[in-house]
Parts: sequence; structure tokens; C-alpha cells
Amino acid sequence: MREFHPLVKRWLDGELTADQLGAELAAELAEARALLSGVDHSPVTLGHELDQRVMAAVRSRPARRWQRAWRWIGEAHELRLRVRPWAVVALAAAATLVLMFAPARQSRAPAAVAQAPESVYVKFVLYAPGAHEVSVAGTFNGWDTHATPLARADAPGVWAATLSLPAGQHLYAFVVDGRRWVADPTAPGVDDGFGRRNSVLAVTPRGARVS
Amino acid sequence: MKHTIALLLSLGTAGPLLAQGPAADLLQGKLPADAAAQVRAIAARATARALPAMPLVSKALEGAAKGVAPARIVAAVQALADQLTSSAGAIHDAGVAIPDSASVEAGAFALNAGLDAGQVRALAQAAGLTGQRATALRVAGTLAALGVPPKQTVNLVTRSLDSTADLNTLSAQVQAGMAHGKSAAAAAAGLTHGRPATPNPHRPATPRGGSRKP
Repeated sequence: MREFHPLVKRWLDGELTADQLGAELAAELAEARALLSGVDHSPVTLGHELDQRVMAAVRSRPARRWQRAWRWIGEAHELRLRVRPWAVVALAAAATLVLMFAPARQSRAPAAVAQAPESVYVKFVLYAPGAHEVSVAGTFNGWDTHATPLARADAPGVWAATLSLPAGQHLYAFVVDGRRWVADPTAPGVDDGFGRRNSVLAVTPRGARVS
Repeated sequence: MKHTIALLLSLGTAGPLLAQGPAADLLQGKLPADAAAQVRAIAARATARALPAMPLVSKALEGAAKGVAPARIVAAVQALADQLTSSAGAIHDAGVAIPDSASVEAGAFALNAGLDAGQVRALAQAAGLTGQRATALRVAGTLAALGVPPKQTVNLVTRSLDSTADLNTLSAQVQAGMAHGKSAAAAAAGLTHGRPATPNPHRPATPRGGSRKP
């Protein structure tokens, strides 16, 4: 069998024009052209007889089991149902049992809803006598030291702010006078990776816990 | 199985894009460009492995806010990424095919608080199908942060998972004990001994001491 150069093949596929083939491929190109000229381009018409013969051959082949099953499913069938009274009672009992178990499965759904993020008001308090300004920064405000200032409370030296925080765990620290980071003395603390401590606050849908 | 593969593929392809997206944009102007690029790269690697990227970006923001040197910020972000990886591995070893972000983050928090990977895995296994995996790990981390020894922490949380007790109250109860002058361990010990053993109806019965892997 004649094996043409890949570029000539691409010309045959209509991807390249003859001009794009180099002179060294001119002989192969002429040969390919000669072959193409010998191809009969006249449209082929299949006779009606052939069509009938093919279809007859197809119909004569026995249907496979799954084909018969599929056909049976699609066809209409007459079903006769004879019900005994005790069977009706048994079915009703089974349905009751299913309904009894259904609420048990659904009882998890409210828990999931309760676990969805909800906002809870949390009051941050720091005793910082002598401070001029106090703020709180944490995971809830992108550690922005200016976003959440605390205000002076009624008691001297006490600073406080109330925030609405989504349920979840938050890490935070107080910032005194814009430069001194102070962990909350009333909350558990963890290493912040920078040589200081962060305070931990867990907010549950039922309320905040310094935990 | 097909869904799992599809999810992993989608996480693998979407992860790096997310890590370079809105979360990573928060770093703009907060860190020097080269440090920000390193943090983005760590976050991209994390999300490509289906780990949460937001804690990493948050850690970088924290370092910047605290005026920490950029090199130290990158090191802290990498350390957190390592903890997230260990946490995800431990939860996976507990029989969870694709650990959720909340649990992975809570597990990393517990590791940072002093638990080891084996204890994270034990807690994830104990939480089983209760839907409280993230809560259990978070509470365990908090108890450890209060000073309760890790082994005692795991024991207390596991017992609470077995009962109808509210996990979220554990650390507050330990703190209450500490407020009365007890050590964290002593306060937790009081809870361990006094905790009612009401079985949790939502928790499937499993043999004690046996393997709980599905």
C-alpha cells in the first residue's frame, strides 16, 4: 500500500494547499492528484430493493432477551389484584412503622439548622486603666486594629464593646493604644505563631461562650 | 465513587483559582509583594489539596496587623498549612473520605493547642456520625488551651459524645472550676467523674475499644 508523506496526507485531508508543500513533494503530490482523479465522484443511489432486503434481514433476526423484556415493559398489560383483608391491615401497620421512624431521621435536620451560621451578640470587656484607646482585632474583622474600638464603660478603667458575631470559633486580642497586643485574661489562649497569645471565643447559636 | 472523583477533580482545579481570588486579594497592601506572593502560593497549594485557604490568609493578616516581619509571617502561615494538612490526614485516617473545612480547621486548632495527630484522629473517629466532628475537635482544642492535659481532654470529649451532654458547655464548666481555684486538670476530672452516662440516641452503637472505621 502506498504511504504518502504526512504533509501530502494533510493536503489530501484539505488541511494544506498545494502551494504549502515544498518542491521536493511535487512528485508525490502529482501522484496523489492522479489517484484522486480516478475516484468516481458521482453520487451513489441505493435502490429501493436493497432497502427492503436489509430491513427484512433485520426483522428476521430473533430479538434478544433484553429486547423482549424492554418491549414487554413498554406494552400495556392487564393486572389482576386480589387483596385479602389481613394483607390490608399488614400494609397499614407497615406504613405506620415507616411513619414512626421517619421523624427519628428528620430529628437531625433541626440540629443542622441550628448549626448554620447565626449571629450572636458578644460583649468584649477589658480592664485597662491608663489606656487612651482600646480596640479588639480578630478573625471576625480581618485583624483590623481600627475596625472595632471599645468604649469607656461606667466603671473607671473598664472598656467594652458589643459585637454581633457569627456562630463559630474566633481568635482575637485587644489592642491598647494602637500598639500593645493584650490577650483576654478571662479567655483561654493559644500560641499565635508570632510569640504572643491569641484568645479563643466560641460562639454557639445559643450564645457566646468564652471557650 | 464517581461523585468523589468528580469532587476531587473540581477541588483540584478550582482550588488554586480560589486561593488567588477574593481571599488572597485581602493581602493587597497589607504585606510586601514578595511575602504576599509566598502566602498566595501556600494558600494555592493548600486549596489544591482541598484544605481551607481562609485561615492561612487570616494568619497573614494577623501577622501584618501585629507588625511581624514578613519572613516570620510566611513561616507562621506555612506552619498553619502544615497543621491543616496533618489535621486533614488524621480525620481522613478516621474514616472520613473528604474531611470538611470546619473539621480540618478545628483539628488544626486542636493540634496548635497541644493535641497530637493520633488524638485528633481518635476524636474524629469518636464523633463518627454524630455530626459533631468539628465541634468535638474545637472543644478539645479549647480544653487543651485551658490547660487540660491532652489525654484527659480526649477522654472527656469522647465521654460527652457518648452522652447527651452539650459539648459546648464543657470548657465553660472547666473554667468555672478554675475560677474556684482548681487546676484545669482537676476541674476537668470533676466533669469526667460526674458526667451522667446518658446514651446519645443519635450515635450508632459501637464496641468500646474496637475499630470504628467503616
